[in-house]
Amino acid sequence: MTTPICPECDAEVSIPQDAMENELISCPDCGSELEIISLNPVELELAPETEEDWGE
Amino acid sequence: MNDDILVVKLGGGAGFNMQAACDDLARIAQRRPLIVVHGVSDMANRLTQERGLEVRMITSPSGHTSRYTDEQTRDIYVEAAELVNQQIVSFLQAANVTAVGLVNDETVIHGKRKTAIRAVINGRVRMIRDDYSGSISGVDTARLNRLLNDNVVPILPPIALSEADGLLNVDGDRASAAIASAVSAGTLIILTNVRGLYRNFPDEHTFVSQISHNQIDEAMTWAQGRMKRKVVGTREALEGGVRQVILADGRVQNPVQRALDGEGTVFTS
Repeated sequence: MTTPICPECDAEVSIPQDAMENELISCPDCGSELEIISLNPVELELAPETEEDWGE
Repeated sequence: MNDDILVVKLGGGAGFNMQAACDDLARIAQRRPLIVVHGVSDMANRLTQERGLEVRMITSPSGHTSRYTDEQTRDIYVEAAELVNQQIVSFLQAANVTAVGLVNDETVIHGKRKTAIRAVINGRVRMIRDDYSGSISGVDTARLNRLLNDNVVPILPPIALSEADGLLNVDGDRASAAIASAVSAGTLIILTNVRGLYRNFPDEHTFVSQISHNQIDEAMTWAQGRMKRKVVGTREALEGGVRQVILADGRVQNPVQRALDGEGTVFTS
């Protein structure tokens, strides 16, 4: 399996074996927050900025 | 500021004494302008379970819990809001108060949906994109003021309308703060299932009866669970110009009058 690459800094990012789609992980090199968009194949994107502002 | 205007948030939890609160509200509505915001959580839970569905809560990375509101849950939430709203309107009308429920498209609360939120699931943070909760982006103040001028009591569920996404689940405590700020209310009372704020809940010796606006950061560190939202709402109301916010017990007889008489935790600007 190809090691996924951080879209921000091109570093290799290891994915937990039990990773879930839409899980957030951090790039070990640049610290960017990344979202696992798909698992097979693994695709990473920068996680969107969100404010905490929830419902009831 | 119109110091006379009172905004009351009624709890939506299972232990809340709605009849007692409405009896009290009916008396108070005879002598001052009143707006009621109400919770829906217990009714929404019951309807969800009646439909054979699971009540799902999600937790934000900073520890706030919230109802996971996918489209199906949103529709149940709206139905629950209509039922609770109608119950309050009926109670008040039976006591000769002119009350109007501002539900669904009639809502005066405008909102913006969060298209992506973070949630902690089994200890891991994930993005959720099918949630219909949102933040409050505005209030139709003119409509509320017209109703108040006509001696009508507006009754509002914690639902906002987004032009793009329809009806949204919004936090009731923060909705009541937005409403109180919008109409320049003098007092906001948030009724809940505890006496108020404690430094170390549930140790009665640590109950906080008075607190000023400049201590609110400290109050946030004392608040546990759902109380955090109430303190957030309190802060927003005080910053929005409300003179005092009272967190008080909604399980007792005359809960609103008792709060006005100083029971509960009184936050002042």
